[in-house]
Amino acid sequence: MKARKVKGLDPAAPLAEGAERIVRTRLDELCGFMPAASDPSAVAALHDMRIAAKRLRYALELTAGCFGPYAGTAVKRLKALQDVLGEIHDCDVQLPEAAALLEELTAADVAAVADGRPAPHRTAYAGLVAIQVELRARREREFARFDSMWAELERKGFRPRLEHAIIEGER
Amino acid sequence: MAKAGDVELDPGEPFAVAGARAVEVRTEELFGHADGVLDTADVERVHDMRVASRRLRAALEIFAPAFPPAPFKSALSDVKALADALGERRDPDVQLAALKDLAAAMPGVQEPGAEALAERLRGRQVLANATLAGALEHVERSGLRERLLALAGQARDA
Repeated sequence: MKARKVKGLDPAAPLAEGAERIVRTRLDELCGFMPAASDPSAVAALHDMRIAAKRLRYALELTAGCFGPYAGTAVKRLKALQDVLGEIHDCDVQLPEAAALLEELTAADVAAVADGRPAPHRTAYAGLVAIQVELRARREREFARFDSMWAELERKGFRPRLEHAIIEGER
Repeated sequence: MAKAGDVELDPGEPFAVAGARAVEVRTEELFGHADGVLDTADVERVHDMRVASRRLRAALEIFAPAFPPAPFKSALSDVKALADALGERRDPDVQLAALKDLAAAMPGVQEPGAEALAERLRGRQVLANATLAGALEHVERSGLRERLLALAGQARDA
């Protein structure tokens, strides 16, 4: 996902001025993935939201000193958000891998059986199906964790509190 | 996992000067993790270097307007290529670790399936390691560390 361009950055201006523009843009970018990422099947939106959380976190890690104290708390919240979205992404990468291998081995076995030979990979089927079941269950659990984490961030005013921390830095 | 070093940035200092320091610190962190990164027996090394590459890339992108465009573009492109190679190596490491946990809980009848997938992933790990070796060689040959530090110096002097 290409990052949204931050406009009006001046290399000669104080860091605090540029940091404010950057963090506002990255925060807006992150929050913009909701509600799209609240759909468990929105694989791309969930992946992009993870990247957006990472960008905001890294920007805050470098510039938290320009803002009020909640900026430091936000870094921790973003790390947790990035981690749970990372777990979901790992399942989204591993599931097709297991499915593709099962398909590949099955196709090779169909060819062997059609040729009058025994299926060479038949002992692998059960494990590959079990792996997919485990990964799907794990993804459901991790998505539920993400869903409640985001609800908690909203309930505790993550966005307005970080915006307030940005304003505190301007004083 | 190695924790990123603190970068002391003063809110009142010029954006370009802050960017120069951030890139210097993150550059040294990246190259500080290069030893033994091709060792597939110690997967934490590649993880640490990958995280350091992402932090350096982030610092470059955050402070992009502070750097002279042409050398910046070339250095960023090389950092991205290195980060991609590290990611490509890291992915099978993560999948193999997850698979090991899954397989530990599987009854015997399911083991051949887990082994077939592990074999596939190990093959990918070997290929990715070769790609990473090439990327590291390019980094060395093209003097990426020196180019990044020179970029930081130019931003500070501008």
